[in-house]
Amino acid sequence: MVAEKVGKEKKLKKASKKSLRTMRRNRNRHPVREKVRIVKYGTKSFGRNIWLSTAATVVMAITLIILFVTVVASVILTNTAEMMKDKIDITVYFKPNTSEEILAELTEIISKDSNIKSVETSTSEEEYAKFLAENADSDEVLNVLDDEMSALMIGKMQSTMRVKVNDVDNLDSIKNIVENDELFVSFVDKDKAPTYDVNRAEISTITSWARIARTGGIILAGVFLIISILIIFSTIRMAIFSRREEIYMMKLVGAEKSFIRGPFLVEAEICGLIAGLIAATASYFGFSFLAPKLAGYGINVESISEIMESNQLILVFLVFIAVGVVIGRISARLAVHKYLNKA
Amino acid sequence: MILLDSVSKQYAGDASPALDSVSLHIEPNEFVFLVGKSGAGKSSLIKMITKEEIPDSGKIIVGGIDLDYVKRRHIPGYRRRLGVVFQDFKLLPRRTVYENVAFALEIAGMSGRDIRKTVPKVLELVDLLDQAKKFPDQLSGGQQQRVSIARSVARQPKILIADEPTANLDKLTTAEIIALLKKINDFGTTILVSTHDESVVNNLQKRVITLKDGKVVNDQKNNGIYELSERPVPKAPVRIVQTPGHALKPRPVANVATRSTTTEPARTKAPASRQVQRSTNVQRGANKRRVI
Repeated sequence: MVAEKVGKEKKLKKASKKSLRTMRRNRNRHPVREKVRIVKYGTKSFGRNIWLSTAATVVMAITLIILFVTVVASVILTNTAEMMKDKIDITVYFKPNTSEEILAELTEIISKDSNIKSVETSTSEEEYAKFLAENADSDEVLNVLDDEMSALMIGKMQSTMRVKVNDVDNLDSIKNIVENDELFVSFVDKDKAPTYDVNRAEISTITSWARIARTGGIILAGVFLIISILIIFSTIRMAIFSRREEIYMMKLVGAEKSFIRGPFLVEAEICGLIAGLIAATASYFGFSFLAPKLAGYGINVESISEIMESNQLILVFLVFIAVGVVIGRISARLAVHKYLNKA
Repeated sequence: MILLDSVSKQYAGDASPALDSVSLHIEPNEFVFLVGKSGAGKSSLIKMITKEEIPDSGKIIVGGIDLDYVKRRHIPGYRRRLGVVFQDFKLLPRRTVYENVAFALEIAGMSGRDIRKTVPKVLELVDLLDQAKKFPDQLSGGQQQRVSIARSVARQPKILIADEPTANLDKLTTAEIIALLKKINDFGTTILVSTHDESVVNNLQKRVITLKDGKVVNDQKNNGIYELSERPVPKAPVRIVQTPGHALKPRPVANVATRSTTTEPARTKAPASRQVQRSTNVQRGANKRRVI
């Protein structure tokens, strides 16, 4: 009796497993056909839920624009700070009429320091020429400069050495050379001190701004990226929440998870694609409008302008679309997953 | 076709079990009513069969498959073998009637050409071909339920399970839905219908399984009569038989005593006034009914 029952159980188990295996084998016999249907229903669904789709798309577009503004602002701020930093130089004044040969020698000595980026020298004559150029419009100045006066001025003007450094916070070694090198000591004008002491506070401020701009920009962009993802995720989740019953219904009639999930993903991807296009277009025109105004304030927008005005603009559009599509897809997948596993 | 062996289920927090050692066997091509009051366990039993719920103990075998071996990954495929009709229709609101029916075939991987051939035929069966382009919210309750039935039979399942399919419908529409289910049964589909509407059960002379407090208290193999309320069973209950052309013709029932082999407490004879009242109600419900 027991043996008979066990035998029946075994037969039933075998038959059940065979039927289930056949069912699994017959599943997804036409993956391409399934994909086509998923895209078809996703597209149709986007149109039929036009209000919800529009709301989600607009939120995504605005979020992408905010993200773009954050990234661009961070780049501009960093570039501007770098630009200002680059303008800083140390000027060493030498006695009037220090010859070019001596200046070349002094350049060679100071160039040995690893912190030196570039060295520019000018003799007293060159300094005078500069002075003339600067006052070319001033008749008052030019009228008094006869030959005698010119010679006198050249004789009074110091030769200069302008040094640009890599690290403005580390000027001790340069200071050491200027103050202790024999050649420097013999030619440096004692009446006019080098500028590294005078500009030290300003140099330090600009350097710290540049650092803040760089790290702050990265942090801000990261924070906004996370906020963007959360906003888009919440929007799509709300859109899917209103349709959670549909997911349940589809499950009950025997739809595979991939077939249920697919149209929702396609819908979110379409939202992301359109939002990306809108955001990229708005950002492009917005930047084109604001860039000249910003440049007028001395803000460095060159690097971004270069991208926007070259073939790389296509790349910018593609990045926008890709970010929209990827965030949309991830959000929809997470939201659907929640309801897909409930029923 | 469907076999339940000592199936029990108790939901967390409930004092009494939803199903208490339920055993029953439904043969192929049978038309079975599952009746009982709300909370008797009808929906739980159907959820066990559709694998929405898992029993605490006991065995369920449906179409030769032991549900113990149906894992999560098998569930969609298993459900596609069944046709299921729900009380609240469960139609996809953003898809047309045509797309709702086509959906059942698409998830089974049917080709577009076959779907285009099959869907109109199925919609014709439920008399909704002219409503194919409408959305569910543009249809009446009865029409929505017919779409739901069309969706569930489109794949020609061997088993059709209907959970309170007439609960939200008026009496005339109810009769139409039951007639439709009968028609599907005539094609060879095993049908299990849960209901607490006694008129639905008494219209057809089919097997009736009565659940009470999670237990099978009555299983009438043929010509089942079901009395939901505790009131006494009349000697000559109203029986309405549908004839072609939707003319509903009442017929007297013979030998009631031999059929009402219920385990419930013995019922007493209903007062004559109540019988008259019931007859009047049925007459009001459908113009073409005649009551003996």
